[in-house]
Amino acid sequence: MREITNEIRQEITDMIFDYYAEECEVERDEITMDTNPQEDLGSDSLMFVELIEMTADKYDLDIKLQSIGKYMLKAPMDTMSDVIEMFCKIYQYGNDIVNQ
Amino acid sequence: MYNRAFLFNGIGSKPEKLLVNLPPELKEKYDDYLDAAFGRLKLNKDFDKNTGYDKKVAEWLISLICDRVIFEHYIDKGIIPDIGAGYSSGIVSISGCFGSVPHEFAHDIIMMNRATMRCLDEHGEKLDMGVVIGFSYDDISELFAGRFSPDELIIGSGNSKFHVMISGKADAVQKALDFALSEGAIKAFGFGTGVAYHHPLMKKYSQEYVDFCASTRYSAPVYPILSIFDREIMTTGEQVLRENQLNVYTPIRWDLAIKKLEELGVTEFFDVSANGAVSKFSRVSRKCKIYTLEDV
Repeated sequence: MREITNEIRQEITDMIFDYYAEECEVERDEITMDTNPQEDLGSDSLMFVELIEMTADKYDLDIKLQSIGKYMLKAPMDTMSDVIEMFCKIYQYGNDIVNQ
Repeated sequence: MYNRAFLFNGIGSKPEKLLVNLPPELKEKYDDYLDAAFGRLKLNKDFDKNTGYDKKVAEWLISLICDRVIFEHYIDKGIIPDIGAGYSSGIVSISGCFGSVPHEFAHDIIMMNRATMRCLDEHGEKLDMGVVIGFSYDDISELFAGRFSPDELIIGSGNSKFHVMISGKADAVQKALDFALSEGAIKAFGFGTGVAYHHPLMKKYSQEYVDFCASTRYSAPVYPILSIFDREIMTTGEQVLRENQLNVYTPIRWDLAIKKLEELGVTEFFDVSANGAVSKFSRVSRKCKIYTLEDV
């Protein structure tokens, strides 16, 4: 397991907010932790895959999409807070996220 | 030497999602083409007023008309392709844009899908297609091995390392989608179109379509086209005709077609769809880039 600092957590949060703001063409400050990425921002699963790829590149992670898919069966991504929590877990646990 | 490839998308995007991306000057051109096409084909421009098979083909024609507008926009900007490829009904689109057949004939090919759908209904076939996100072609092949017979389900297209289209009997497609979700697909959903394009079982229901494709003379395309079936470079009208005929009942390897284009030297890919759909489900290597309408 990789340690996650508050700085990294904030960096991940910023990255995700910036990404959705740009891709969904909304102002960054319109997005809150309670925003639903699909229903409120109109994001889709292909955007989500791109965000995973971007994160994997940025933090040099070897992550299988299937591991994330299995994790999502237990923890749906209903809010930005859920998304950030999941990406922090990806950073920490990589493919072992499925066991978290 | 090939450096720049144009990529044409297939059906599947909702008209409202396509049209919202057209800037005013392109929307004006789109409206002109739409008036001419829908007037000639006796379709209602108010999409909801088209019913049954007409409603489906009307939606598909919107994609073709958008493609044409964007293709011409790229050409006007001096962005000239060295080669191109069409994904599924993108083959019909590229046949028109690259000058093998008049645009009107490309529209007529799309209209012929009505005959295929009618034939399927008459035979009581319940078919469907679906998309699995999160698995590659090889992943899905392994996952489905021994679970489905090729008669009921095949991989209609391997699109990229995370995007696969499946095609076959409706109940098998649904079972496969459910299974993929339980095995960690990020998303899996059916199209609900009642057809199973790219499955060989479509051959016996698409004779009218196939015959119609051959009812005109195809010119050599202005720019070469890469076949998404055998990945040969097509430079003659006969090859483009064959590609259109194979399209209905032959599986695609879009991922391998993209790889082949890279091997041929392509580094700049241009997505000819209005909503950048091709760029979303395709992947190229790091030295390459897929440009969209928004980029241009």
